[in-house]
Amino acid sequence: MSQPLHTSGVKFLKVLAKHADLIMTAYLSGRINELDFDSKTLEKLIEHGILWRPEPGEDLRLRSSVRTLLEQNLRDERNRQLDANVGSKLATIKTITSHYKEALHHHNYAESEVYMEDLTEHVYGLVDSMKSNVRNLWRRIHNEFGYVGSIHAKIRENELAQTQLTEMRQQLEMFHFDELAQLAGSARELRRLLVVHLQRSHSEISQELSLAQSKLIDLLGKFREYLDRSQMLKGFILHHQQYPDYQVNDYSQLHNVPALFKQSKAILKPAAIDVNNAEHEQLLGQMVSQIKQIRHQKSEKSDPRKAQSFSLDDIEQVDIISNEIKQAVDDYFCQIIDTGTIESALEFQQKQQLDIDSEVWIYSVINGFYSLTLEEQDFFEVQTHGHVHHEFNGNYIIEDVSLGLR
Amino acid sequence: MISLQGQVLETLLSGGFICATSNELAFNFLQNDDNYQSVEQQLNLMNRTIAKACEGEVLFCAYQVIDEGERRVVSQQFREIAGSLLPLVEWLVLVQETKGDNAPLSQGSVIRLNEIQSVIEDTPAFCEQLAKIARYPLFNSTSSAVDAQLKLIFKRLVEQEYLLRPNPDTQIYLVTGKIDYLFEVIRFIDDTENLHLAEQAQSAIEQGDLL
Repeated sequence: MSQPLHTSGVKFLKVLAKHADLIMTAYLSGRINELDFDSKTLEKLIEHGILWRPEPGEDLRLRSSVRTLLEQNLRDERNRQLDANVGSKLATIKTITSHYKEALHHHNYAESEVYMEDLTEHVYGLVDSMKSNVRNLWRRIHNEFGYVGSIHAKIRENELAQTQLTEMRQQLEMFHFDELAQLAGSARELRRLLVVHLQRSHSEISQELSLAQSKLIDLLGKFREYLDRSQMLKGFILHHQQYPDYQVNDYSQLHNVPALFKQSKAILKPAAIDVNNAEHEQLLGQMVSQIKQIRHQKSEKSDPRKAQSFSLDDIEQVDIISNEIKQAVDDYFCQIIDTGTIESALEFQQKQQLDIDSEVWIYSVINGFYSLTLEEQDFFEVQTHGHVHHEFNGNYIIEDVSLGLR
Repeated sequence: MISLQGQVLETLLSGGFICATSNELAFNFLQNDDNYQSVEQQLNLMNRTIAKACEGEVLFCAYQVIDEGERRVVSQQFREIAGSLLPLVEWLVLVQETKGDNAPLSQGSVIRLNEIQSVIEDTPAFCEQLAKIARYPLFNSTSSAVDAQLKLIFKRLVEQEYLLRPNPDTQIYLVTGKIDYLFEVIRFIDDTENLHLAEQAQSAIEQGDLL
């Protein structure tokens, strides 16, 4: 490749990269609003053949070559264009082959090598464009023409794809391998390119195309069914609107009831519980434990907002019947406090001639002492008189207690 | 444990429809000729047979011979189906229009309740349509809120096995083969009574275009 071509190519690509943002805007919206961008930049892009003005007064648009490049690269679904011009490409290939053979005949090897390079490029380019066409078709098939909304549009898209496919198959028929084989002659390189490589690609592509065709026909059938179904539904509603008193005929009264309406009655009902089955015991137990008992309070009687009557009379006298023993214990404590002497409980009992069992009395005094608060207990001192049990050690029998102030 | 054949018999005898979506195991079980024959034999004992609809995609249990008692059952069932046709068809059209892709529902379609709900809430015409559908005795909704109406309709449809809710935590529904059965019923009525429903819709659309 010559040096100037290389530099200008690099320059072109750099321009593309530098204005990538602008180019993508143009690609997505279809045209460029000239007010949004610098006029110098736009001039430069027009100069490089990236943007062009289809007609004076029209907006700037992307050149189709740049657009195709992007569509190919982005696998954009909007790309429905199939480049199917196989005939002219084949003609180019044949012409270059003749150049190559002529150069070889004149022993001009340097020139023949250039032709060979060119030829390889063209053959690979042809195969690549056909393959990308097939890929393009498949891409549209795979998402079931999801880029258009209505079923009608899908059917039209499908028909477009079908015509494109038929066209591609016609183009494939233009490959005459006997001619190509003759053209290649005995040159090994040529045979490899023109016969082996092209033939292999040809069979691959035609196989894929026939698969795609059957898939397209399938899809078309599916879309037609969709359309049929949705029209049937809408028709049914329309029919009901137009004939409000329309009733479906009672097909169940026909002599031969159609199979659709012969559905039998559901005869199976859930089986009953068997409480005698030991295997089910655990499950039943669980269910019982999950049963919630809900008790509703009857609220009719206790209406909270109802007025209630109350009396303003004096509270009745409440008599607290004090225990005789408790009274005596209190007297005992009071006497200790009054006199300040130490007196035993039994002595007090005898003095007062209390008619209480002495054991109960002593117990009550002890009880009376310990029922005081800790602070009050601190004012008194309690001493116990008694003896150790003669048989069971650790047991102490209290015979009397004496109480005094501390 | 109950065997697969037992499960299939139970489903059929309790009036269920078997399709690849609602009960894939049972559906595949019946695709086998031997299994099919043995289930058929057992059903034949009870004057019943396996009926197929939608080119074998949907299976259900039908009577073999129809006599007086059977005719009463069949005619009652027919009345039920005929009565629920219009509400169901209106619902189908509503869902189809809200989903936006114009593809009618069929077995295995997925309906996301949230998506439908947001579309309906944004479009007053759909709201009215929904309210009309919800008031049919089949759904019998008294609510005026879109949310409650939709949920009730979907609940009823799940109860009647038109829809399936694979995960009770999410509002995603699967369409069962019973919807296809419904289509077949409409198609049958269309064919027998020569209603030309599709042509009616087509001409209505064309007239709409002219206007």
